[in-house]
Amino acid sequence: MLFLLTLLVFFTFVKAEVIRVFAAADLQYALREIAELYMKKYPEDKVELIFGSSGKGYAQIKAGAPYHVFFSADMKYVESLYKEGYALKEPKPYAIGRIVVWVRRDSGLDPSQFPQVLFDKRVRKIAIANWEHAPYGRAAKEALESYGLFDKVKDRFVLGENIAQTASYITSGAAEIGFIALSLTKSPKLEKMGRYWLIPEDKHKRIVQGYTITKEGKNVDRFYQFVESSEARKVFVKYGFVLPGEKP
Amino acid sequence: MIDLGALWLTIKLSLITSLILLVVGIPLAYYMAYSKSPFALILEVITTLPLVLPPTVLGFYLLILFSRNSPLGSLLENLLGLRLLFTFEGLVVASVIYSLPMMTHPLISGYRSVPKNLIEASWTLGKSKLETLIRVILPNMKSSILVGLVLSFTHTLGEFGVVLMVGGNIEGQTRVASIVIYNAVEAIDYKTAHIYSAALLLLSFFSLVALYLINRRWFL
Amino acid sequence: MIRVKVKKKLHGVKGDFWLEVDFEMGAHFVVLLGPSGSGKTTLLRSIAGLETPQEGYIEVNGSVWFDSKKGINLPPQKRQVGFVFQDYALFPNMSLLENVMYGMKIKDKGKALELLKKVRLELLKDKKPHQISGGQRQRVALVRALAREPQILLLDEPLSALDEDLRATMQEELKNFQREYAIPTLMVTHSWEEALKLADRIIRIEEGRIKEEVKPKRTPLKFIDKRLEGEEVVLTVSIEGKVWELSINKKDLLQGVSKIAPS
Repeated sequence: MLFLLTLLVFFTFVKAEVIRVFAAADLQYALREIAELYMKKYPEDKVELIFGSSGKGYAQIKAGAPYHVFFSADMKYVESLYKEGYALKEPKPYAIGRIVVWVRRDSGLDPSQFPQVLFDKRVRKIAIANWEHAPYGRAAKEALESYGLFDKVKDRFVLGENIAQTASYITSGAAEIGFIALSLTKSPKLEKMGRYWLIPEDKHKRIVQGYTITKEGKNVDRFYQFVESSEARKVFVKYGFVLPGEKP
Repeated sequence: MIDLGALWLTIKLSLITSLILLVVGIPLAYYMAYSKSPFALILEVITTLPLVLPPTVLGFYLLILFSRNSPLGSLLENLLGLRLLFTFEGLVVASVIYSLPMMTHPLISGYRSVPKNLIEASWTLGKSKLETLIRVILPNMKSSILVGLVLSFTHTLGEFGVVLMVGGNIEGQTRVASIVIYNAVEAIDYKTAHIYSAALLLLSFFSLVALYLINRRWFL
Repeated sequence: MIRVKVKKKLHGVKGDFWLEVDFEMGAHFVVLLGPSGSGKTTLLRSIAGLETPQEGYIEVNGSVWFDSKKGINLPPQKRQVGFVFQDYALFPNMSLLENVMYGMKIKDKGKALELLKKVRLELLKDKKPHQISGGQRQRVALVRALAREPQILLLDEPLSALDEDLRATMQEELKNFQREYAIPTLMVTHSWEEALKLADRIIRIEEGRIKEEVKPKRTPLKFIDKRLEGEEVVLTVSIEGKVWELSINKKDLLQGVSKIAPS
C-alpha cells in the first residue's frame, strides 16, 4: 500500500509541459521518426503522439481535447476546424499520400494481380478503413468504384477504425488482403512481413494531407515549422509520401 | 525498454476510483438497502445501469455532459477551472460512474445481510443511526466492503470503452493500460501488447485471490 | 407506573386483524402469553418504538413515549428500554464486555464487569459471542439490557432457544434478577409453564385482544411419591400440610405439563 501511495505522489509531480500531437494513423511510423529527430534537436521539448482516424481527431478537438497540433490525412478536417474557430493557423498541406493493396508474404497472394486477386479463393475478407472518417478508406472506396468493383466485394469487407487498425487486420490474419497507406508498408516490420502494389493515382482523388495548430497550441510554432524542414521532409519521402509542390 | 507509465496510471486510476466509490457507496447503498421509498428502487435501477449499458453509450453521454459546450462542462470550467473531457480528473469521474454498481451491489447485499435485530438492538441501546452504522453495521459487513473494493478496482483496471470516448489517449493523463494494448495491436507491437495484457491479467488474478483468501479466513 | 394503550393493524395468516390492548403495570413481572401470531411481539416492539401503532398512548413513569393524538412518537433511542431479543442480537464484532458497555450512558467498565460477574461470565469477558454457549449468550443479552438502566425490561421469548434443563435454570435466574432490580418487566412467551413460573401477572392475548388476566397463586407443593396405575400416573404430594393424590393420564403427561395448568 505504501508502495502504491509513493507512486501516486510520484505521478502527481512528474508532469512536464509537452507538445501533444494528434495524427492520422498513416503517420504512425513517419511522424514518430520526425518527433525523435525534433526531440534530439530540442531536448527541452517533449512531443507526445496520439494516433487515430482523422475524423476522430476532428471530433475530439471540437469536444475540447488538449491536442496542440493536428495532422489530418486530408484537408477537409483541418479546414473545417479552422473555419469553425478551433485552429490558430490556416491549414497547410504537408504530404500527399498513396494507397496500396497489401498482403502478407506467407499468404501466397500476388497484389500486383489487382483487381483479379480480390476474387482469389483464398481471399475471404478484405480489410479497408472506414471511409466515413478515414480519408484512406475514402480513397480505397473511390478506387474500387472506379474499377467498378465496390458492390461486388463489399460483402467481404472488414472495416478498420483507422488505417493502422486496417493494417493490423491483415497482419493478424483476420483479413487476407486490404487497402492501406503506402507509408505504413515502409515501416521495417511491415516491409518484412508483406508485399504491396501501388494503386495508380488516377483511380482516386489525391490524398492531400494537411496540418494545423489548434487553439490549445500556444508555444508549438517551433515544432510546426520543423515539419517543413529538410530533415522532416526526408522522412516523409522515405515513407513514400509525395511532398506538396513536388512531382512523385 | 517498454514504458510502463500507463500501467501505473491505470493502477492509480483504479485505486482512486475505488476509494472514492467506497466513500460515495457507503451512504448511497445504505439508502438503497434500507429505504422503502419508490425513489430508492429507481435509484437502484439507475446505479445498476452502468453494468448492463454498453460502455460506449455511457461514454457518449459523458462526452456530451463533460463537453465545454454543455451547461455542466462550462460551469465546472468557469467556476473551478476543472476540465473533465480528456483529463485524468474526468477519467476518475467517468470510472466512478462506470464502476458504481461494482461497489453498490456488494454493499447493498452486505447491508441486507446484517440481521435487522442487531440494528434494532443498537437503537434500543440508545445509539443513533449514524453510530449504529459505524459501530455495528459496517464492522459486520467487512467482507462485502472488501468485495466492493476489489471488484471496483479490477473493473476499473479493464475499463476501455468509456476511456476511449471521454479520455482520448493522452500520456500520463488518460492513456491507460487497455488503451495501450489497443494501440500496440494497431501498431503491430505485440511485445507491448503481451506485456500489458499479462500485467492486467496477473493484477486482476491476484486481486481476486487476495479477496477469496481473506474472505475464507473471515468465515471459517 | 406504565400505561400502554395500543391499536395497530396486523397482517396475519388468516387475514388482517387489529391488535387492540390496554393495560397498566407497575414494577412487576408481567408475562404476555399467547399463540404465535397473536400480536404479543408487536406489542413489545411498539413499546420499544420499533413499530408505530396507528393509535395509542404509551407512558412510562410519567414521561409520554407515544401519543397518537398529540403526535408524540419518541424514537427507540430516546425510550429507555432494555430489550432482549429472541436470538439475543449480540454484536458479533464486539467482545462480551464491549457488548455490555455499548449501551451505557456513562461508560463504566467496573460496573459492566460487576454485571458480568453476576452472571458468572467475568472470566469470558474478552470472548466474542460466537465463542460462548447459548445460555451464556442469553445472560450477556440480559445484562447488556440492564446496563442501559432501563425504565422497562422487554423480553421477547428470551428462553425459547435454550434446551429444557438450561431453560429451567435461566428462568430461576431471570426471576431473581427482576426481583433484585425491581424493574417493570414485560416478557413474551407461548409457554404456560414458563408464564406460571415467572409471572406476577399473566396477560393472555389471542388474535390481538386480551383474553384474560391471571394472577398465578403460588402454593408450595412438596413431592412425596409417585406410582403407576395402568395408564395413570399417581403423584402423592403435600400442599399446605395436607396430603393429596394427583392422578394424570400418561399420554397427557407426555404432551406436557401445560394440561394441568388452570384454564
